[in-house]
Amino acid sequence: MRRYVIKRLGQAVGVLWAAYTVSFLVLDYLPGDPVTAMASAGMDSGQVDPQQIAALRHEYGFDKPVLVQYAEYLGRAVRGDFGDSVSTGRPVTSALADALPQTLQLTGAALLLAVVLGGALAVLATYTAQRWLRQLLLSLPPLGVSVPTFWVGLLLVETFSFRLHWFPAFGNDGFKGLVLPALTLAVPTGAQIAQVLAKSLLTALDQAYVETARAKGAGRWRVHLRHALRNAALPALTVVGLLVGQLIAGSVVVETVFSRDGLGRVTAAAVTAQDIPLVQGVVVFGALIFVMTNLVIDLVYPLFDPRLVVASGRKAALA
Amino acid sequence: MSQSLVDDPVEAALGLGRPIGAGPQPYPGRRVDVRRLLRFVLRRPGLLLSVVVLVLVVLASFWPDLFTSQDPLKGVPSQNFRGPSGSHWFGTDELGRDVFSRVVHGAQLSLKATLIAVLVAFVAGGLLGVVAGFVGRWVDDVLMRFVDVLLSIPALFLSLALVTALGYGTVKVAVAVGIASVAAFARVARAEVLRVRQAVFVEASHASGARWYAVLVRHVLPNAAGPVIVLATLDFGSSILAVSALSFLGYGAPPPAPEWGTLISDGRNYLANAWWLTALPGLAIAATVLATNRIARALDGEWNRQP
Amino acid sequence: MTALSDARTSRWAVLTALVTTSVVLTACGSGGGDSGSGAGQPTSGGTLTFAVGSDAGCVDPQQVASNETIYSVRQIVDSLTDQDPKTGTIVPWLAKSWDVSSDATTFTFHLRSDVTFSDGSKLTAQVVKDNFDAVPKLGALGTLAEGYLSGVKSTTVVDPLTVKVTFSQPNAQFLQATSTHSLGIESSASVKRTPQQKCSDGVIGSGPFVLKQYVQNQSITLAKRTGYAWGSSQWSKKGEAYLDKLVFKVVPEAGVRAGSLQSGQVDAISSVGKANEAALKGGQVTLQRRANPGVVFGLGLNNARPALKDTRVRQAIVSAIDRQQIADTVFPTGTRAATSVLAQTTPDYTSLASDLTSDAAKAKALLDLSGWKMGSDGIRTKDGKKLSLTVKWFPNASTNQPALELIQQQLKAVGVEVVLKQLQVTQFAPTLQSGDFDAVWGNVTRADPDILRSSFSTKLANFYHLPASSLDTALSEQAATVDAAKRRQLVTQVQQSLVRNAYYVPVVELQTQLGVAKKVHDVNFDASSRIQLHDTWIG
Repeated sequence: MRRYVIKRLGQAVGVLWAAYTVSFLVLDYLPGDPVTAMASAGMDSGQVDPQQIAALRHEYGFDKPVLVQYAEYLGRAVRGDFGDSVSTGRPVTSALADALPQTLQLTGAALLLAVVLGGALAVLATYTAQRWLRQLLLSLPPLGVSVPTFWVGLLLVETFSFRLHWFPAFGNDGFKGLVLPALTLAVPTGAQIAQVLAKSLLTALDQAYVETARAKGAGRWRVHLRHALRNAALPALTVVGLLVGQLIAGSVVVETVFSRDGLGRVTAAAVTAQDIPLVQGVVVFGALIFVMTNLVIDLVYPLFDPRLVVASGRKAALA
Repeated sequence: MSQSLVDDPVEAALGLGRPIGAGPQPYPGRRVDVRRLLRFVLRRPGLLLSVVVLVLVVLASFWPDLFTSQDPLKGVPSQNFRGPSGSHWFGTDELGRDVFSRVVHGAQLSLKATLIAVLVAFVAGGLLGVVAGFVGRWVDDVLMRFVDVLLSIPALFLSLALVTALGYGTVKVAVAVGIASVAAFARVARAEVLRVRQAVFVEASHASGARWYAVLVRHVLPNAAGPVIVLATLDFGSSILAVSALSFLGYGAPPPAPEWGTLISDGRNYLANAWWLTALPGLAIAATVLATNRIARALDGEWNRQP
Repeated sequence: MTALSDARTSRWAVLTALVTTSVVLTACGSGGGDSGSGAGQPTSGGTLTFAVGSDAGCVDPQQVASNETIYSVRQIVDSLTDQDPKTGTIVPWLAKSWDVSSDATTFTFHLRSDVTFSDGSKLTAQVVKDNFDAVPKLGALGTLAEGYLSGVKSTTVVDPLTVKVTFSQPNAQFLQATSTHSLGIESSASVKRTPQQKCSDGVIGSGPFVLKQYVQNQSITLAKRTGYAWGSSQWSKKGEAYLDKLVFKVVPEAGVRAGSLQSGQVDAISSVGKANEAALKGGQVTLQRRANPGVVFGLGLNNARPALKDTRVRQAIVSAIDRQQIADTVFPTGTRAATSVLAQTTPDYTSLASDLTSDAAKAKALLDLSGWKMGSDGIRTKDGKKLSLTVKWFPNASTNQPALELIQQQLKAVGVEVVLKQLQVTQFAPTLQSGDFDAVWGNVTRADPDILRSSFSTKLANFYHLPASSLDTALSEQAATVDAAKRRQLVTQVQQSLVRNAYYVPVVELQTQLGVAKKVHDVNFDASSRIQLHDTWIG
C-alpha cells in the first residue's frame, strides 16, 4: 500500500510539473513577444515605449535564454511565487487565494447537485419497469450535455429571477444566490454522471451476485440500492474525479453569467487584459485541483474495493 | 466494459477507447450497402431528425440565401425589439436586424470554427496517437505522458491560455479549442492502432515482406479509423459548445459578426425585455449539438450492433 | 429495510452531510438591506444597493473620469464649492466665501472651521495647499484635475482657514473647477501617497460617506460618516446623511441590472437604456434623467493619422452619420442628437445644427473629391490602401456597442470601413495618452465650456493631435476672459471651428437615466448630472 501511495504522489507531482511546463510554453514562449503583449495590454503594439519594454524585459528576465528563464520561473513557482498580476499589481497567488473560496463554494454545491440529481436519475431509470419512463429519463442526459451552459444559466435567470422573482440574478449573497448558478453548473456534469451510473448499474444488475440476492428473497429496492448501486458507484466515483476539472473550468462561464465573485471572473478578466502571469497561475491551479482530486480518489479507492489489484490502477477497476 | 464510445462520454474524454482485443474484428476492406443504410436511418426517427438538422446547418453555412433573404448586418433601427412573428421568425434585435437571418449567417462562422477545431484535434491528436501506437516503446511512453498532462488541465483553461497567447478572433478561438481536444484523439488513435497491429492479417502482411509504411497506410489506418471518426463526430458537438462559450465570453470575432455565442452575449443585455435574443440562438446551438451527438451514437455502436 | 449499518455507507453519509452543511453555512451571508418604515417622512438608516455598469479600476475621486464610478467615490470627498444644477451658479461648501481678483488670476477661499476628515485630522488651508500642489503629480489618470490647475503659479496659506490660489494667466473656469469631484479635498496623509496607492487603497476624505471596502470590478461599499455637519449649501438635510450604508455593485449587463431592479434585488441602477425603459416604467420604479453638460458623445479622431489629416474625409464622416437615428434607436427617451461639440445644458453652448446635418450624398461627394475611390467590396481605396478606421471603445455604458454598430453601418453605406475594438475601461486613459488609435468613442462631462480647452488645445495634452491653429488662441482667451459676453463670443467661435473643421465628430448628447425604486427618495442630480446621496432616504 505504501508503495502505491508513494507512486501515486510521485505521478501527481510529475503531472503538475508538466502542466507548469505546458503553460510556460503556451504563455511565455508562444506569443513570441509576451513582454510587448503585457506592456501594450490590449492596445496595438506599434506605439509602446521601447524603454518601457526593455525595462519590463529585464524585470521579467526575458533577456535571458529560454531555458534559464524557465528554470528561474520554475524555481519561483515551486516556492509559490507566480509573480505579480500585470493588471492589478498584486501577487498572483493572493489574487487566486482571495477568489478561491467563492468558487469552491459554487463548485462544491454544483458537484453535490450533480451527484444527487444525476444519481437519482440513473437509479430511477434503471429501477423502473415502465419502458416509457425509462426512455424518458434516459433521454435527459444527452440533452444535458448538448446545451450550452451559459444559455441554460441565462434561461434560468430569465425565468426564475426576472419572471418569478424567486432567486437573485447576480451576486454572491447568501444561499439563495447560490441556487441558480450551482444548478447551471451542475447540468452537464450531472448528465454525465447519470450516463455513467446508469450504464454501470445495468451492468451490475446482470451480475451473478444480484441473482443470488434475489434468489435469497431480497426485495427489488434493496437489491438495487444495496448491491447494484454500491458496486456501480465505483466507476462513477472515478468519473467524478475527472469532472471536477470540468466544474472548475465551467465556473468561468457561470460566474460571468451571474456576475459572481470568484476564480472564473478573475480568469475572464485576466484573459481580456492579456495578464499572462495571472492566466498562468490559473492554468497551473486548475491542474493542481484536478491532480489533487484524483489523487484523493485514487488513494481512497482501494479502501472501497479491496478486490482491486492496486498496481493496475484505475483501468482495471473499470473493466 | 463499454463497447460504445459515446455512452461513456467521460471515457471518450479519457480516450480509453476499447480494450485491446475486443470490438469487431478488423478485416481488409469494408463497403457500405446504401439500401441497408437508408432502412437503418428511417427506422429511427430521432436519428432521421438529427441528420435533417445537420444537413440544414451545413446548407445554411454554404448557401444562407436559401433560408433567408434579409440582411444579417443591417436592419431597420425603428423596428427593434420586435418579438418573433411572421415577418421575423426569430424577432429583431436592438438595431432592428432580423435575428433568424443572423443565426443563419452565424452558422457559417460556427461551422468554420468547429471544422477547424476538429481538424486540428484530429490531425494533431491522430498523429500523436498513431506515432505512439505504431512506434511503441519509449516514444509511446513519452507521448502518452504528455497527453496525460493535457488531460489534467481543464479544457476551457487551456483554451483560454491559448487565446491569451494568440489573441481574439474566430480562427484563433477554433485553434485554441482544437488543441484542448488533442488528448482524446491521441488516446483513441493509439488504442486503435495497438489493437489493429495485433491482428493476424497485419502480421501476415508484415511477414510477407510489406514495408512498414505500406502496412500502416493499407491496413492499420483504415481499420483504426472507425472509432477515431466517431470521436470526431462527438468532438464536433463539444467543439461547437466550446467555441460558442469562448465567443460568448467575448473572444470571438468583433461586431457585427453574428457568431452564435456573440449573439447570445449581446442578447444578454436585453434579457429583461427581449428574451428571444438569447433563447433562440441558444436553441440553434443546442439543436446542432444534439444532432451531432445522436449521429455519433449511431455511427458508433448501433450500426455495428444491428442484427 | 435493514439498517444500513455498513461502515462504508455511513461514512459516505457523514461525508455528504458535512459537505452539504459546510456549503450551506458558508453560503449564508447577509441579505440585502432593510428599509425604513413609514411613508412621506424621511427616515434615517438603511442600506442602498446601487447597481452600476462598470468599474474604472480606481477609487480616488481625483483620478476618476467615468460616471459609473464617480457615483460612488464622489460621496467620499467634499469640494471647496458646489454648483447649483438649475442655474449654474457657484455656491458655498467647504469654503464659506471667496474672493476673485478682477483679472481672475487670484482666488482666495475662506474655509469653514468645523470640518474634519474621517481620520480625525482637521481641514486647514495647508491641507488644501497640499492637495493642489500634489495635482500635477497625479499622472495619467489625473488629466482632468491637472487641466483645471494648469498655469497655476502658487497656492499660499494666508492663515489657517484662508488659502489663496494664484495663476499666471487669468483663469475664468477655476471657480467652477473647485466644485468638481476632481478637485475634491483629501486629507494630507492621503495626498502624500502615490497615485497608484490612492487608486487601489482609496483615500480619506471629509465627505458624508467613508470608503469601507473596494473589490475591483465587483463592489464598492461606503458607510455613513458620523458627526458630518458641513454639507453643501445645496443640500436640504443638515448634518449626517440619512443612509447607513451604500453598496455599489458592478453588473455590466443592462438587462441584468434592469431585471434586478424589477425583482427588488437592487434599489437603484445606472445607465438605463431605451430597451429597458418600457419594462421599468409603471412598476415600482421611477426613471430619473438629466442631460450631461460637456463634450457630447462622439468619435474623437486622431487628426494626425494619414487618412484623417484630410479635412474633407473628416467632414464626410460627420455628414455620413445619422445622429437622430442613433439617438432614437439606442439611447434613452429624450436624448438629443448633437447640435454642437458641447451639450445643450453647457453654459455658452451654441446651436450649429445646420452644420451637423446628415447627408450621405454629401459625404460620398467629399470622399470622391479627396481621391478615395469606391472599391468592389464597397470600401473606398486610395493608393492601394483601404479607408478603414479602427474605433476603440470601452464598455462603460451599455449604449456604446449598439451606437457604434449603427455608426459602422452608416459609414459602410458611404464606403468607410469601421473596425470596432473593445478595450477595458481601465485602458481609457492609457489609450488616449499613447495616441495609438484612429478614433475613440467617448464623451466628457463638465458644466463649463473650458472643457473644450482641456480636450482640444494643442498647448495641453492634445490627445486628438489637432494641428496648431487660431483655435488655440481662442481657447486660451476664453479661459482668461472675465467678461461673460466676450467669453460667450469666443466659445461660439471655438465651437464653430471645431465643428466646421470636423476635428471631432459629435453624435449624441449623453443623457443620464437612472432607475430608482419607489421606496428610495431624493436621489438628486448635481450640476454635472452625477448624484449626491446625502439627502437620499429609504422609506
